[in-house]
Amino acid sequence: MSAMIPFHRVNVLTGIKSARLIEDASQYANLIQKAKRPLLVLGPLLSEWSFDGKLLIEYALEIAKTANIPICATDIVKGKMVELGTKPDSVYDAVEIVNHLKDPDWKGVKKEGNHDLVIFFGIRSDLEEQCLSVLKHFAFNHLKTMTLDKYYFPHANYSLPNFRKDEQWKAFLEDLISELKKGG
Amino acid sequence: MAEVKEVAKELSRKEQEIRQLIKAEIPWEPVGPTPMPEIPDLRSWDMRLLKTYKPWYAPFCDLCCLCTYGKCDLTQGRRGACGLDIATQQARIILLACLMGCSAHAAHAGHILEFLIERHGPDKKIDMGTFIELEAPNIRTVTGLKPETLGDLKTVIEYVYKEITHLLDSTHFGQEGSYLDYESKALHASMLDHVGMEVADIAQIVGFDFPTSVADTPMIDMGWAAVDKSKPVILLIGHNPATSCTVIDYLRENDLYDKVEVAGICCTAIETTRYSDRAKIVGPLSRQLFFIRTGIADVIMTDEQCIRTDMPIEADKVDSRVIACLDKAMYGLEDATEWDTEEIVKQMVEDKKHFAILDPKKAAEVAAQVALKISPQRRKEWISEEEAKELAGKCTQCDMCERVCPNLLGLGKAMKDISEGNFDEPRKLFNKCIGCGKCDQECPQHIPILRVMQVVASKETWKIRAGRGAIMDTEIRNVGAPITLGTIPGVLAFVGCSNYPDIEDVADMVDEFARRKYIVVLTGCAAMVAGMKKDRDGKTVYEKYPPDFDAGGVVNVGSCVSNAHITGAAIKIANIFAALPLRANYEVMADYVLNRVGACGIAWGAMSQKAASIGTGCNRLGVPVVLGPHSSKYRRLYLSRKEEDDWRVMDARKREIVDTGEPSPEHIAYVAETKEKAMVMIPKLCIRKNDTPQGRSIKLNHYISLYKKYMGGGLPEDLHLFVRRDADIPLVYKKEVRVHLKEIGWQPKEPVGLPTFIGTYPTKVPLEAVIH
Repeated sequence: MSAMIPFHRVNVLTGIKSARLIEDASQYANLIQKAKRPLLVLGPLLSEWSFDGKLLIEYALEIAKTANIPICATDIVKGKMVELGTKPDSVYDAVEIVNHLKDPDWKGVKKEGNHDLVIFFGIRSDLEEQCLSVLKHFAFNHLKTMTLDKYYFPHANYSLPNFRKDEQWKAFLEDLISELKKGG
Repeated sequence: MAEVKEVAKELSRKEQEIRQLIKAEIPWEPVGPTPMPEIPDLRSWDMRLLKTYKPWYAPFCDLCCLCTYGKCDLTQGRRGACGLDIATQQARIILLACLMGCSAHAAHAGHILEFLIERHGPDKKIDMGTFIELEAPNIRTVTGLKPETLGDLKTVIEYVYKEITHLLDSTHFGQEGSYLDYESKALHASMLDHVGMEVADIAQIVGFDFPTSVADTPMIDMGWAAVDKSKPVILLIGHNPATSCTVIDYLRENDLYDKVEVAGICCTAIETTRYSDRAKIVGPLSRQLFFIRTGIADVIMTDEQCIRTDMPIEADKVDSRVIACLDKAMYGLEDATEWDTEEIVKQMVEDKKHFAILDPKKAAEVAAQVALKISPQRRKEWISEEEAKELAGKCTQCDMCERVCPNLLGLGKAMKDISEGNFDEPRKLFNKCIGCGKCDQECPQHIPILRVMQVVASKETWKIRAGRGAIMDTEIRNVGAPITLGTIPGVLAFVGCSNYPDIEDVADMVDEFARRKYIVVLTGCAAMVAGMKKDRDGKTVYEKYPPDFDAGGVVNVGSCVSNAHITGAAIKIANIFAALPLRANYEVMADYVLNRVGACGIAWGAMSQKAASIGTGCNRLGVPVVLGPHSSKYRRLYLSRKEEDDWRVMDARKREIVDTGEPSPEHIAYVAETKEKAMVMIPKLCIRKNDTPQGRSIKLNHYISLYKKYMGGGLPEDLHLFVRRDADIPLVYKKEVRVHLKEIGWQPKEPVGLPTFIGTYPTKVPLEAVIH
């Protein structure tokens, strides 16, 4: 729908099909709540990014807990989660989890069947965009993808816009958590 | 030694021709099943590899735009006008990348060979020194020819050229339609790349008398501060040493070497220092534009590969002069090869012109004379703090620099810091800069960002050991057993370009694994950056660790083309240690390496098409490769799914297929996002099914301890897959691992005596061929 150019130019789309841009947290919450088996894929940047001293991984964990979404910890995220007193449902690297997800017959991290909505958060943006591309091209029949990062990702199905300011992003994430709680 | 029986049959004319080319009548070993293999000959091996390590495609674009039927939309299962789907298009692009890489090295080899045959004649003997009898493991394994002279190498490179033509042909409209077959072709092209690289480096070692059969090569000064800018400076950039060695010759012969500084960037720098330890290494590819813009170089001589394509434009900005020395990159410059030297010098000095000069002797003479004349008049000053602060102060924080940065760096913040006189954070950020200069051209305030960064660029100098060429046969005899038994936990090859998340990553990883007694070998830009960090005692990894191919050694093998010595070392283990014949016996060598040699490549900053073919060539030989995060943009990896994939092997001693359930190695082309995760994956990828209990326990010790270090404690989720029996468990973790295994209901498994893929897929290779 949108001709939005991603913040990082390495992710500029050369193609046809780009992500639906969503700025309204309630729409995101609806999509998440409609999903039967969502999965949250967390990346190492969540341990580096923070709003007023609160790490973004804490937002991610709150989203997961609120909406009862299993977590796949990529890279060294598991370490941070353990430090915060929780454990991921699965540990795979970004390229590995995507490799599983593209198989419609995969049983998923809960062994209940493959996931129908995969939410990416905190992977470096060029790698995340490439992972989204894998799913866009090879898993389009059985799952949708969504991102929670600050910028626009064309290869996702649903993406946030390029937020100019962290405050906008923070507000979105807080609204999302509130909306998910409402849907609870 | 196990024998490969030659099948008695009437030879076709083509087979007879090949036997003639490889001098089959010389019985140094029996000729194996695939002399000078063509596209289909190793296809079944590839398909076996690809069955476990399936291609993982991350398309860059939705389209194909390679013919006028296009652009064709390949999304959501659509096929293009020719019938191609998105997976096959990715595989086609990968093949093209591998062919670019392979042809770059092959053409380099062809050029240097012609140059050296002109100098020494085709009968110049190949002598790699006292400790290297197996002089050309890749060439012997792939072609079946034992090259004895430079002329023999020409036969080899002509075979590579022929195969490149056939492979490139397959990428034309309306040819190959299977992604697996394209992958097989990419693996073929990349195997040939290692042959081409080996031709190039053997020729260079023999023709230029580069170090060979020696480990303790000289220490070389590295870093831009090592370059004495008070002297005339000749800067050599690229990969081909024909020009650089001739420059050194000219300076020596004319008593000018004390008066002129010779420095290099990228692999030419490494090659030059193999010829003269007085030459300086500025740094890797990522420092190219930065250094050019300092204006320190009076004359820039370019040869081939990985050079800035806007070199004359950049040189004009700082009043340097350019000589393009090879036909591959002539920049539209006038070809002055046939001109009178004095006239060229006059025009370069007075009219500030750049030229292409394809005769190395003439180019060397012109470069020296021009540098001597123009150097005293040129400004070679680094930016002052005041100037940097003033320029950085123009920044409006528009973020355009960050948006275009391939390494996603927050340059606006750095400009703000510099403008306020805070240099610590920008200094760290500069270590992550890959030096492309895209930020400069995007800045609406026209801030020369790379120039501003001079204020935070380290003026430190480092030591790097000169590239030593092939691993010695004697070294292989010493380490063959501990490597294959697992008591040396792995051979790690740090290779590739400088598109790193952080320039210090490689030094950190080398230090971690050398300390753990892995054998670490390095080439090219990776070899340089490994030396660009000092420990608390002021030592680089080259000063800290021994230069031997042995446990805990750190070995700079040389330039990009020296990568062939790394795959060559793996083949040597199979041939020298395990006594398996290698002649035209690629499948047996690759099977041995995959299943029994705990080697792993790390191409952390892989960027170029050459890196794609070097890595893919390692993959065909059974060496897994860990790539940095940028490399997801290569579009293809080879990944397994450890819980579900086929981990059956033939136990050649029992002659039965065994389902090991053990994913070793788990992947053969894999991307890690951070160096920390790479360091957890690397020891795992060194695990092999034939590890002895002692060897396995050593490897698992490293895997567990690195996991605990970087993954927040606990035990690896997949540990149970790699523990066969209690004896495999490292002593220090015995109690904890036993409890864990009991909890998950682990059952012991019988180790496989002699694991091999041979016998698990259709192949002409008999099982006897892998038994040693």
